[in-house]
Amino acid sequence: MIRRLFLAVLMLAACRPSDHPAVQASNRIVSLLPSFTEILFAIGAGDRLVGRTTWCDYPDAARDVPSVGDGMPPNIEAVAATKPDLVVLYNSGPNVTAALQLERLGIRTVLLDMNRFEDLGPATRRLGQLTGLEQRAESLATTMDSLTYRPLPPPIASIAFVVWDNPPIIIGAGSYLSQLANLAGARNVFDDVAAPSAQVSLETIAARNPRWIAVLSDSGTAPAFAKRREWRAVPAVRDGRFLLLPGSLFGRPGPRSAEAVRRLQAMLGR
Amino acid sequence: MKWTLLIAATLVALAASVLLGPAAVPLNSDIVWNLRAPRAVLAFLVGGALGASGASLQALVRNPLADPFLLGLSGGAGLGAVLAIALHLSGPWALPLAAFAGAIAALVLVYRMGMIGGGALDPRVLLLGGVAVGAFAAAVTTAIVSLADAAELRNAFLWLWGGLSSASWDAVVIVGVYTPIPLLVLMGASRPLDLLALGEEPARYLGADVERVKRRVYLAASLLTAAAVAVSGVIGFVGLVVPHISRLTWGHRHRALLPAAFLGGGALLALADTLARTVVAPRELPVGVVTALIGVPVFALLLRRWTVA
Repeated sequence: MIRRLFLAVLMLAACRPSDHPAVQASNRIVSLLPSFTEILFAIGAGDRLVGRTTWCDYPDAARDVPSVGDGMPPNIEAVAATKPDLVVLYNSGPNVTAALQLERLGIRTVLLDMNRFEDLGPATRRLGQLTGLEQRAESLATTMDSLTYRPLPPPIASIAFVVWDNPPIIIGAGSYLSQLANLAGARNVFDDVAAPSAQVSLETIAARNPRWIAVLSDSGTAPAFAKRREWRAVPAVRDGRFLLLPGSLFGRPGPRSAEAVRRLQAMLGR
Repeated sequence: MKWTLLIAATLVALAASVLLGPAAVPLNSDIVWNLRAPRAVLAFLVGGALGASGASLQALVRNPLADPFLLGLSGGAGLGAVLAIALHLSGPWALPLAAFAGAIAALVLVYRMGMIGGGALDPRVLLLGGVAVGAFAAAVTTAIVSLADAAELRNAFLWLWGGLSSASWDAVVIVGVYTPIPLLVLMGASRPLDLLALGEEPARYLGADVERVKRRVYLAASLLTAAAVAVSGVIGFVGLVVPHISRLTWGHRHRALLPAAFLGGGALLALADTLARTVVAPRELPVGVVTALIGVPVFALLLRRWTVA
């Protein structure tokens, strides 16, 4: 019985809702990732949004769209209550389950990857198809692709992204932020770590001696660990060489990725 | 002979954890002196505290499953740490102090529950109270983490799983000054603890002040654990496995057992942390994973030899 149930789930997962061709342009959309919200606004579909997550704070008009929660995992009832004809979800395990539940309620869903620069163009084109705004989506996607595939500038500085201090967790090569650093002319000292993020020893950070410690920070103040004695063994921490990156701009891929690259470039050149 | 071996093993573990690291750096460098050396010493002190605490708690509650975190301290410490993060308490010592305060709060609560039958501390009530307080604190912690906005709260669980990455000489000095006091209290209670193993009634006939010993041992062992959890989170298996290994080798006399569990726990954690830092470098494993991976097979081997013999 359980095996049969499992098989059924597998088969359902195999004919994922995103494989259905777009039949007609969606007019009531719920976006469950800030990146999708930004893209939808950028291609001119912002006024069709009927739901967003609490994290969707850009553009300003996005804040006028009713929030359906933090989206991790999605609150199915809150989403369904907005009577959407399309729900756009980030492609991850818990969201696959949520998408199945929404489909069962007769709501069309689409799961899109949004982990790296390469995902921007395809996701934008797909959202263009779903909203019938192919042309504007195509021009945005082309700009994004040219940023993604442009030759990397020679690195002018080394950098380590620290996302948590105890235990120290850094950003590895397989992440959006590491790509962003490369595009801005910085070398991620942990580019030998293939995973998007990993726990490392403090001594490894100290020994690799990055010129800059980058942290996502909306407050604009140095992180608390800057004052801890053991972190002062890292020269960049001792000398206060922090790059404080606002999370809304730097923490997500989207139409403003090019702006993020430019901003980081300017910071590195200081 | 076995003492020589244990002391040698301890020294080897300490030397290895200073000499080996994920990064190839000269031994006279700042990194070795300010990061590796304090981390090695802190690992030794924390492991020792957990070993001694586990050994005395197992004797106190007369339950071989007892470990330093069974009595609700990990739940209390976790709640303290998560509250510190959720309330944005800043300052370099906010997290360890909040965790310590949480552990002490759990300790007091469980102690009060253990005293439920008047003046006598009932080990069974102590165990149940510890499990209940721990579960309640864990539930509150999870509620805070799932309701609070701060994304960083999810990382608080990583801290809770244990690790020594916050080691510094400051932490070593604090733990180094603090731990000898409860350790000496436990050592002072070693004879009555031997008697307690016979049961409370016989111990009383043989002249032990059973109630006083139980209170002292409970408080001293918990204070040791509270310090350990404040600086390094919840590191499992050391406080469970090391006392048993020590008992298999040194017998049930606490005057020998407690120092052996202290040295053994310290050596095991220093070794485990060295492996955690180096085997998957530049990445790092959570140290609790390594203590379990080393501790459990050694334990199984000894258990087999002991039951065969």
